[in-house]
Amino acid sequence: MSTDRLTQADKELWRSLAAAPVVAPGTASDLDFAAWLEGRLTEAEAARIEAAIASDPEMRRAALELAEVLGHERLPASPRLEARAKALVGFEVERAPARAGLFDWLFATNRRFVLQRVATLAAAVVISISGFMMGGGLGASFAQERQAGLSRPAAPPSAGDLSEFPFSDGT
Amino acid sequence: MTELNQIDLRTLLSGSKRAWDGFVTAAAPLINAVVRRALLTYRLNEDDVLDAAQDVFVRLCANEFRLLKTYDPARASLSTWLAVVARSAAIDHARRRRQITQSIDDVAEANLAVEDRHVEKIKIPQGLLTERQMLVLRCLYDEEKDVAEVAQLFKIDAQTVRSTHHKALRRLRAHFQEGSH
Repeated sequence: MSTDRLTQADKELWRSLAAAPVVAPGTASDLDFAAWLEGRLTEAEAARIEAAIASDPEMRRAALELAEVLGHERLPASPRLEARAKALVGFEVERAPARAGLFDWLFATNRRFVLQRVATLAAAVVISISGFMMGGGLGASFAQERQAGLSRPAAPPSAGDLSEFPFSDGT
Repeated sequence: MTELNQIDLRTLLSGSKRAWDGFVTAAAPLINAVVRRALLTYRLNEDDVLDAAQDVFVRLCANEFRLLKTYDPARASLSTWLAVVARSAAIDHARRRRQITQSIDDVAEANLAVEDRHVEKIKIPQGLLTERQMLVLRCLYDEEKDVAEVAQLFKIDAQTVRSTHHKALRRLRAHFQEGSH
């Protein structure tokens, strides 16, 4: 494709209309610019972006370059670039928060799981009290059993038991 | 390999390492191409180009993906938005690099020219040309692009570009011929 239909006279006419430069007005956002490049904007929105592009040489260069790159097949990037970019975000295990224990969970100051935490605390109190009461009763019965065992007379040793000792009369 | 527009943004923005790796694999060729094209005129070496591309990824994930969170899939595709962001980041990178490292003697004279960030005020009455006609003329004459490149930019066929150009010049001629009488 060439510019053969664009005559020198046309070019001169266009150039003769250019005057002194003035400071650029506001430009389009990245998203607006991307949407315009894809032809997704309404006519009015597109006209606003096109006015900005027409008045800003830097935006014009950007538009032409991006249209060129986006319209072509791309070669794979170097493995070095990929490796360096991947290393920017750490491994999940590094970012995982420290595991909170039951104690931390029960007495956490945040407002999450309040009902569950209250219920767990109440259950813990009930279990502790009932456990203490049961433990007291068990202790008394164990003491009684032990006392009864001590007061019982010892049984005489059987013959089998005596034969285990080596008797000697000096012979 | 995951396509860029198939990336699960919610998982990516939650900080998933696996999602980030998939995103990098899918985005790297595009970012690499955009950065290389943008830096063509800056004559940077391979390491600088890689640094500029890396800078794009740094921007995307910095401050818990703040930049990436501004992307809205309803407005544009991820690839086009990324291309816009990547080009802008690459140009910033190149300007910073030039300021820091280069002695004035090492810079080509053309590159020392003051950046042309201005609006060229035209003595064309408001409304005489549409924004599209104005931009077509700008691309053809000021940027010296050919019709095919302008057609690619607007995603229209070359004949439509010629027709837009023709109508714009006819209006201009008519207006200024009237004015001269």
